Amino acid sequence: MSTPTRIPCPPQLDKESGRTLYQTVRTGKLAGGQKLVLDFVDTTAMDSLGGAWLVEIADHARRRNTELLCENHTGHVSEFIDMIEPALLTAPPLPARTMGIVESLGNTTLSATTEGRQFLELCIDAIYWTLIAPLEGKGLRWGLLLDEIHEMGVRAVRIVCLMNFLLGLIIAMLMAKQAENYGISLFVADILVIGFNRELAAIMTAVVVSARTGAAIAAEISTMKVQEEIDALKGMGLNVAQFLVAPKLLAMLIVLPCLVTLGTISGVLGGAVWGIAVLGFQPAIWFNQTINACHFDDIFQGMLKTFFFAVIIALIGCHNGLRVTGGSRGVGLMTTRSVVQDIFMIIVIDIIFAMIFYYVLQ
Amino acid sequence: MPEALPTDSIIEVQGLVTHYGDTKVLDDVSFSVKRGEIFVIIGGSGCGKSTLLKHMCGLIRPTAGAILYQGEDVAQMDETQLGVMQRTIGIAFQSSGLFNSMTVGDNVAMPLREYGDMDEQLIDAIVRMKLGLVGLGDAQYKMPSELSGGMRKRAGLARAIALDPPLVYFDEPSAGLDPIMASGLDALILALRKLLGLSFVIVTHELDSIRVIADTVLMLDLGKIIFLGPLEEAEKSQVERVKQFFERRPDEFIAQRNIV
Repeated sequence: MSTPTRIPCPPQLDKESGRTLYQTVRTGKLAGGQKLVLDFVDTTAMDSLGGAWLVEIADHARRRNTELLCENHTGHVSEFIDMIEPALLTAPPLPARTMGIVESLGNTTLSATTEGRQFLELCIDAIYWTLIAPLEGKGLRWGLLLDEIHEMGVRAVRIVCLMNFLLGLIIAMLMAKQAENYGISLFVADILVIGFNRELAAIMTAVVVSARTGAAIAAEISTMKVQEEIDALKGMGLNVAQFLVAPKLLAMLIVLPCLVTLGTISGVLGGAVWGIAVLGFQPAIWFNQTINACHFDDIFQGMLKTFFFAVIIALIGCHNGLRVTGGSRGVGLMTTRSVVQDIFMIIVIDIIFAMIFYYVLQ
Repeated sequence: MPEALPTDSIIEVQGLVTHYGDTKVLDDVSFSVKRGEIFVIIGGSGCGKSTLLKHMCGLIRPTAGAILYQGEDVAQMDETQLGVMQRTIGIAFQSSGLFNSMTVGDNVAMPLREYGDMDEQLIDAIVRMKLGLVGLGDAQYKMPSELSGGMRKRAGLARAIALDPPLVYFDEPSAGLDPIMASGLDALILALRKLLGLSFVIVTHELDSIRVIADTVLMLDLGKIIFLGPLEEAEKSQVERVKQFFERRPDEFIAQRNIV
């Protein structure tokens, strides 16, 4: 056992003298197993910055495997050292460890599986309470449903119509430029109506609604979760899917097809404005061409995917809302996440439909 | 028990009057808090305790009266001066007020990084020391949402004392804590006062805690001071409301008590 290293402490242990003391200890080249004694015999006062330097010294000694002893302290200094003892004696906690590739891959897989299962359960619950339970005579909250329809649908009409109208203008301009090279400008009317019936209205409207309503659903439910309202609901023996999810899902299923229909009409009108005002066609000719190009098949497949979009927007919002952890920041994260997932899923569903209708069923 | 206290006051409230709309919330409130004192404000719900505390940190301005903090009137300060003043007081909120998006350690380090002239190494040591003081040494890298209510309250206190402010406001320190935790917090407040010379202004309802920590008690009722004096006198007071508070007796005619 080697002799302990003794270091005298300054009379006043504060920010500057603490730093000097720390540097003295560091340059002292501590060896493992050795003892470091801080001698407080001259020290009459210390403040909390001095205490912080003591914590640093204790850390340094611990790293060097050296035992730190504080000796000869009296009065105020003694009480101070007693009080900061927990910080002196324990090693700093380790920061959260970062995972390796394999581990994080496994972790991601596991959490994705769990999340998928939760989402599936929510889907089943929600579909039961939306479609089957009302037929069995179990209550749906009709008043709430009307509120939701007003909020999600009626109040979204203006923005949905405006966006589709502008998109109609853009498509008409783009197509007219190409078509006039071949002298087939009138076919722009066909393109517009087919495009809006099949794809454009459904996608544009779904994106607007997911940014507007999908975000609102996620924010509302995650705030309810953070403020323990969800627990209160469950504690009263009430079903979350029945009381929160079902009215939103049903409202979305009713509202989105209506909005898409309005969107289609606005888009075609937007194109017509360009065709009549700029390309100079007679209104009668343009609208006749439009109506001739309007086929039930196109409308049917545009509408069919709208229902899938509605389910996705409502359920992804609810699902993310119910998964929130950690207060105000969590609410923001989940809202962002649900809009991103909404838009991604809308495109994925659209691709699946395009493949089925354009290739498989031909 | 209080030792010989210095006689100069750290904050002095003179004739404070304040209104919410037409309702008078505080009516001619005057008192002073001495350096190193633990000053406890008590009173029933809605008597203006929190309003008073907000005035003292300059969060709201009074209708009339002055609040002298180290000789300067908080009520007359402009935004810049208020900012400088607020740096020198620590506030621990009832629901902790921790930032959810940062770890507990970063929460405590925030005032140090913003206002202190220190390097990261020292900041880390201070954070660990302060968290050690409130018994949260191992919570440095946890998020506030992972802590229990009592732990969050203590982390809030650690953040409030990060810059060693001479004056700390503490709103309801022991509300919602178990008796063991609450008495631990009382001991901590006393130790901080003794070692760092902090003054505390504490709003609380907990009789047990008041009896342990209070030097001076101020009781408000309907916006007026009905008692101001040392703890021993408060316990012996003949004022009906004060007696009622310390004996924990219910109101007999709650409905007849109207704000005038």
